[in-house]
Amino acid sequence: MSAPAPLPRPAGALSRRTLLAAVGVTPLLLAVGCSREAPAGADAVTPAQVDQLAGQVAVQEELLAAYDVALLSAPELAGLADQARAQLTRLRAAAPSATPTTGAVSPTVPAVAGDAGTARATLRTQVAAAATSHATACPDFTGARAALLGSIAAGLRGQDGQLA
Amino acid sequence: MTTPGATSSSSAAASTSAEAGSAQAEDAALQDALAAEHAAVWGYGTVGAALAAGSRADAVTAQEAHRDVRDRVSALLLSRGVEPVGVQAAYALPFPVLSEVDAARLAAELEAGTTAAWVWVLDQAAERSTRELAVAEASAAEVRAVAWRTRAGDTPVTSATPGLPD
Repeated sequence: MSAPAPLPRPAGALSRRTLLAAVGVTPLLLAVGCSREAPAGADAVTPAQVDQLAGQVAVQEELLAAYDVALLSAPELAGLADQARAQLTRLRAAAPSATPTTGAVSPTVPAVAGDAGTARATLRTQVAAAATSHATACPDFTGARAALLGSIAAGLRGQDGQLA
Repeated sequence: MTTPGATSSSSAAASTSAEAGSAQAEDAALQDALAAEHAAVWGYGTVGAALAAGSRADAVTAQEAHRDVRDRVSALLLSRGVEPVGVQAAYALPFPVLSEVDAARLAAELEAGTTAAWVWVLDQAAERSTRELAVAEASAAEVRAVAWRTRAGDTPVTSATPGLPD
């Protein structure tokens, strides 16, 4: 009798993911007309995709602004806010043309979130919207950026469930 | 859950050699996802057996969801003339499952495995329709993983980028 099989994991995933974790360092040279060292194949991007990535960065910045408002009433959400901030960092790395917002962005959430329950409910709506936005954009990309957008969308779906 | 690189699927070797975004790479990644779905269907049998009868509904629902995805991916591969990987006779559990907390942790592990497999499909896929499937399944698995981690009392229950290295 043969030994039980180990529960499977994608064999090639980690090495390539690790390699592409820093994809944001040189990802968009192709888009700005510089062909040297530009990523090829699945990791190449078009100018339209550059704009789309910048849009997803803006979506995430808006979510961070929503978290800032919610934290005023519900400081226990700090851990989730940290994760959303980590997502923004990785998105910016994948879209270096996106200009980091130095000041406060204009959130589409009320400036005063109210009590903790209201704050969570309002934030949950924002989290779900951001997840949908990233998930919708994901199939427009290939390679590492598709994986990143899909992973972030999944992470925000998890946050959505946690905020329920 | 298992030794990195260890897999029961011969397709995994192909996933390391085919260029990302090629049809071959997509099929290989789908085979990996299918192997993860097989394992999840099998593993939820163990999860359910360790849960009290009154608290098995979530395990049953999750198992059905993975069975549906398994069948869908198998059909997709067959439609391409690719022989889908099969289920193993048994799988090695990552730890003994002796309590309801163990069961919840195993379920969270199963879901994390499928999330990683689907994020890998996103990395490798050539077809938009495949990426649409992958992003939906990665999200569904992560939502279930969060629920199981909560049930197990593990923290943190959520992850910034599930399926990707930190």
